[in-house]
Amino acid sequence: MIAEQLQAFLSAERGRPVTVSDLKQFPSGFSWITYGFTADGDDLILRLGPGNGLYAPYSAEPEFAALDAVQGSAVPAPRPLYWSDDPATFGDPFLIVEKAAGTTPIPWGHDDGLNDSKRARLGTQFADALGALHAIDWGNSRLARFGTGLTCENAALVQVEEWTEKYRRWALRPHPMLHKLLGWLRANAPVAPRLSIVHGDYRLGNFLEVDGDITAILDWELVHLGDPHEDLAWTCLPQYRGGTPLMSKLVSREELYARHAALTGHAVDEASMRYYTLFSLLKLAVTHVAAAYAFEQGGFRDLRMPAMGTQIAPTLRQIEKALAA
Amino acid sequence: MNNSFVRLIDGMIETLRRDVIPATEGEFVRGQAFGVIFLLENLKRRASWSRAFLGEQVAALTELRLALEAIDAPAGLPRLSPIADASEAARDTGDAEVAALIDWLAHTPCSAAAAVVDTYLTRQIRHELATSAKPMFAEISLGREQ
Repeated sequence: MIAEQLQAFLSAERGRPVTVSDLKQFPSGFSWITYGFTADGDDLILRLGPGNGLYAPYSAEPEFAALDAVQGSAVPAPRPLYWSDDPATFGDPFLIVEKAAGTTPIPWGHDDGLNDSKRARLGTQFADALGALHAIDWGNSRLARFGTGLTCENAALVQVEEWTEKYRRWALRPHPMLHKLLGWLRANAPVAPRLSIVHGDYRLGNFLEVDGDITAILDWELVHLGDPHEDLAWTCLPQYRGGTPLMSKLVSREELYARHAALTGHAVDEASMRYYTLFSLLKLAVTHVAAAYAFEQGGFRDLRMPAMGTQIAPTLRQIEKALAA
Repeated sequence: MNNSFVRLIDGMIETLRRDVIPATEGEFVRGQAFGVIFLLENLKRRASWSRAFLGEQVAALTELRLALEAIDAPAGLPRLSPIADASEAARDTGDAEVAALIDWLAHTPCSAAAAVVDTYLTRQIRHELATSAKPMFAEISLGREQ
């Protein structure tokens, strides 16, 4: 079914018959459904945003615009080819990109397959790619239309309200601790040093590597414009350290900050880091809320969803400690 | 837990039927899996969250209500309603009132009220953690014992 739809779509786009083969669905991921396939010898990726997915309803436009904006920069990323939010083609919003080579080390479990030298090499590239992303001048890119009305002064509050709306939409029960956190976030919003492209889920597990070289940063579904501290704080969450002192199990906090400052020209601000660490915990808690919702009411039958839902309480405990610190 | 008891049981049964049993070799092991489905169906009809699990949450809400009534509060401070019973619905109604109170306190600070609310939040989270199993996300991601 998908293969025929791909064939029809690509043939129409390219103005000639296109043969699609080797279609396979990748098992990982909680949100977009990802397929690999070959079209006349080109290895491509199709991503579909299902109506019952974790963050539904979806739009493919921000991810396409971000991938387009980083082409030619020092941020390795798949080249985007096509997108649409019109369900007429595949039944869901979709994105087609070139396939990048590599495998994905994941932050969970005892063995991520990285030795010390490979980890250090990847850590440097991981830090530099984030600095490069935040230094991109996006003003003339497709992303610019998402910056209308956004300022350094309101960037934090725009995100807080966006995640407040998600919480209201998905919560199966009230979580009073999140209300306490939202009050704090609204009262303590920092001014951003600049408006950058924010990946939104920058961490170990969301890039491909080959022999110690990052070949592509993946999973741009939460991309938006905002304060670069947001990505830095997310990357530094304890959840992604795998029990090590390294941020995202790859790089020391000092090296991450130093390389980021060198590439962006802005020193990392500790008060902003505290703010965005708490904001990241809000995002994490609401993501767990979304997982419980997707399983309970969204028709998403994957048992990983209610398992994620059990992590709301540990995240609320982290929030309580971080607010008291 | 944040999903309903019945939905969790239905989800486990669906996973066994659609994912596990078709991929399982051997009649005996598949038979055991059907035995699990049968027992889950029985549990679904007879079990629910325990009185101890919900009772502690309702007790914490009741103590918070009484503590708020005892403080010298500013005019307009939202009050909590008495909890009807030890049910999920009653707990959620109580927590919705606590959430509204926290929203109100964000605009009208009252340290005495904030302190008793904080005590409640700590108690609630500790209870949730004390009744949660050790996470198994590495096993779930990798498909093998860790």
